[in-house]
Amino acid sequence: MGTTVTLPQNEAAANDCLAAINSRFSGSGVVASVERHSNAKKYAFVRITTPPQHWQALAKWLRFDLGVNYCSMVTGTHFPEGPQERGWEVAYHFLRQPITDQLPNTHTVYVAEKLDGRLIPMEFEVLIPLENNDTPTVPTVQHIWGGADWNEKETWDLVGIKFEGHKNMFRVLNPHDSPEGFHPLQKQHKIRYHDHNEMYDDAQGFGRKPADEGRIK
Amino acid sequence: MAQMWITMGPQHPMTHGLWTLRVKVDGETVVDTEAELGYIHRGVEKICESRDFTQVTPYCDRLCYVSAMTWANSYIYAAEDLLEADVPERAEYIRLISAELQRLASHLMWLGAFGPDIGNLTLMTWCMRDREMFLDLLQELGGSRMHYNYPRIGGVKRDIPVGFADRMIAKVKLFERRIEEYEMMLDESTIWLVRLQGVGYANAEEMVEAGVSGPNVRAAGVNYDVRWAHPYSVYDEVDWEPAVEKPTSVKGADCYDRYRVRMEEMRQSCRMVLDAIEKIPGGKNTNYANGDEMIYQKAPTRAPEGATGFSNYECTRGASQFYVKGGGDGRGKNPYRLSIRSPMFITIPFVAKTMIGYKVADIPAIMGSFDPCIGETDR
Repeated sequence: MGTTVTLPQNEAAANDCLAAINSRFSGSGVVASVERHSNAKKYAFVRITTPPQHWQALAKWLRFDLGVNYCSMVTGTHFPEGPQERGWEVAYHFLRQPITDQLPNTHTVYVAEKLDGRLIPMEFEVLIPLENNDTPTVPTVQHIWGGADWNEKETWDLVGIKFEGHKNMFRVLNPHDSPEGFHPLQKQHKIRYHDHNEMYDDAQGFGRKPADEGRIK
Repeated sequence: MAQMWITMGPQHPMTHGLWTLRVKVDGETVVDTEAELGYIHRGVEKICESRDFTQVTPYCDRLCYVSAMTWANSYIYAAEDLLEADVPERAEYIRLISAELQRLASHLMWLGAFGPDIGNLTLMTWCMRDREMFLDLLQELGGSRMHYNYPRIGGVKRDIPVGFADRMIAKVKLFERRIEEYEMMLDESTIWLVRLQGVGYANAEEMVEAGVSGPNVRAAGVNYDVRWAHPYSVYDEVDWEPAVEKPTSVKGADCYDRYRVRMEEMRQSCRMVLDAIEKIPGGKNTNYANGDEMIYQKAPTRAPEGATGFSNYECTRGASQFYVKGGGDGRGKNPYRLSIRSPMFITIPFVAKTMIGYKVADIPAIMGSFDPCIGETDR
C-alpha cells in the first residue's frame, strides 16, 4: 500500500503556517488564508496576498523562518481593463519540501503518514497585485530562491513585468533581438483567430492576410 | 592555456532537442557554461487563451512528445480544480494506469537515448523494442501512438478495451524481467561505470534551491515525490513506494545514481499498474460505453473571472505544474491566462552549471543523465 500525506496532516500544517504568517505580518497589508483545491483529493494550501513593498521581507521570512525552500513557478498576468490597483498580477508558487543533504551511502525514506510539523510538504501561493500602468515593477527574489531566477526571466520575457534588482536579465524564450517592449502575453497582442467567430467563419484561413501587408512596396 | 568559447548545439547529439550550450573551455576542462533556450518556443500559453478548456488538452499532449499522457493529465487536474469537476474513481484508476505506462515508455526513451551518449549504441534498439509494447497499450487507450488526447475534464475519453488488462499484465510482467536484463547488461559494463560514476555530482539541497525536481532529486537520497506529498490520484490505494537512491559521495548524486533511480522507478511503475488493474472499480474486463458515469462525469464548461486552478503533478522528469485563470473570452469559456511550469526549463540552466570542472567528454553523460526534453522546456 502506498502511503500519502493525509487530509488531517495537510490541514494541520496549513493552519500552522497560517498562524505563523498572521502572527508575524498581521496589520501590514499582507493577507493570508487557507484555501482548498477543488480537484482530486481537495487538499489545502496557503494563499498569501501581499503589496509589492512588503514582498522581499515576506519572501526572506518564508524562506528562512518558515522553511519554504522551493520556488516552483512564477506567473504574470495582464489585466488591461482591471481596476487601478490591479492592472497586473504576479503569482508565485512555492513548495515546502523536506529535502536535506545526505551523508554518503545513506538515504532518508519518509513514511508520509507519520510526518508531522515542519516535515509535512506544503504548497504556498503568493499573489502580488500591481498598479495599472505601463511599467509594472516588482522586487526580485532571485537571491532568495535560485529557482526563481529563470522563472522571473521568463515572466519578464513573455509578460513584461520588470523584476527590480534582478541580475543578468535577458530574453529566454523569445528571440534575443526581439524589439524592446515586445512581450507577447500582454493582452494588446492578439493572435490571429483570437476571436472564436473568426475561427469558425474562416476555418481554412483563406481570408488570412500576411502580417506585413501594406508595408511592402 | 588560452580559454575559449565553444558552441554545442543546436545541432548536437548531446542536446536531445534544439538548444545551445555555450561552453568555455580551458584545454579539456569546462570552466564556464551558458544555456540558450527558446529555439522551439511555439507560444502554447498564448494559443491556449483562444481555445476553450477542452481544446487545450491536445496542446498539452504536444508539450512533450515523449510523455504526452502525463502532461495532458497534469493540465486536466488544473482544469478540474478551476471548474470544480468531480471524477469517478474508475477514471482515476485508468488515469493512473495510463500515466504510469507513459512513465515506462518515457524512461525507456530516456535510456535508449542515453546509451548512445555514453557509447552503447545497442541500447537504443533494445529500449525501442520494449517501448513499443507500451506505446501499443497506450494506443489501445488513446487511439494514437504519441499524442493521445485521452483524459477529459471529469473523466477519460473511453474505457479500457476488452482484453486490455490481460495484454497489459503479460507485457508488464515480461518487462519486469527485461529490466533485469538491462541491469545485467549495464550495471557491470566497464564503459558504463567509467563514464557515469564520479561524474556530474549534484547535492539534494543545492538542487532544491535551484528548482530541480523529480527523479533527479530522488537520486540524491530523499524519497520526496509529488505522488505522496501532494497526492492527486489513487496513489494511496495501490502498492508502490517511491524510488530512492543512496548517493555515494558527500557531493551528492552522480550520473550513475540518476540512472539507477530511473531503473528503480520503472520497477515501481510496473508494480503500480499490476496492482491497479486488479483493484480497478467495475472490474478489469468490463468495458463501459463512452460517457458512462463510471468513467466520465459531466463538468461545467465555463469558469468565472477570479477563479483559479492549480495542479502539481509528478511528470516523468519532475514536477510539472499548471496554473489556469478563468474568465477569458466567450464569457469564461476560455482560460484568461494559462501558465505552464516545465521541470526541464528550470533544470537545464542548473545542469549547465554543474558541468563546470568536468571534462568536455563528460558533457553528454551529465546532460543525458538529467533527461532533458526541449519540447516542454520551450513550450
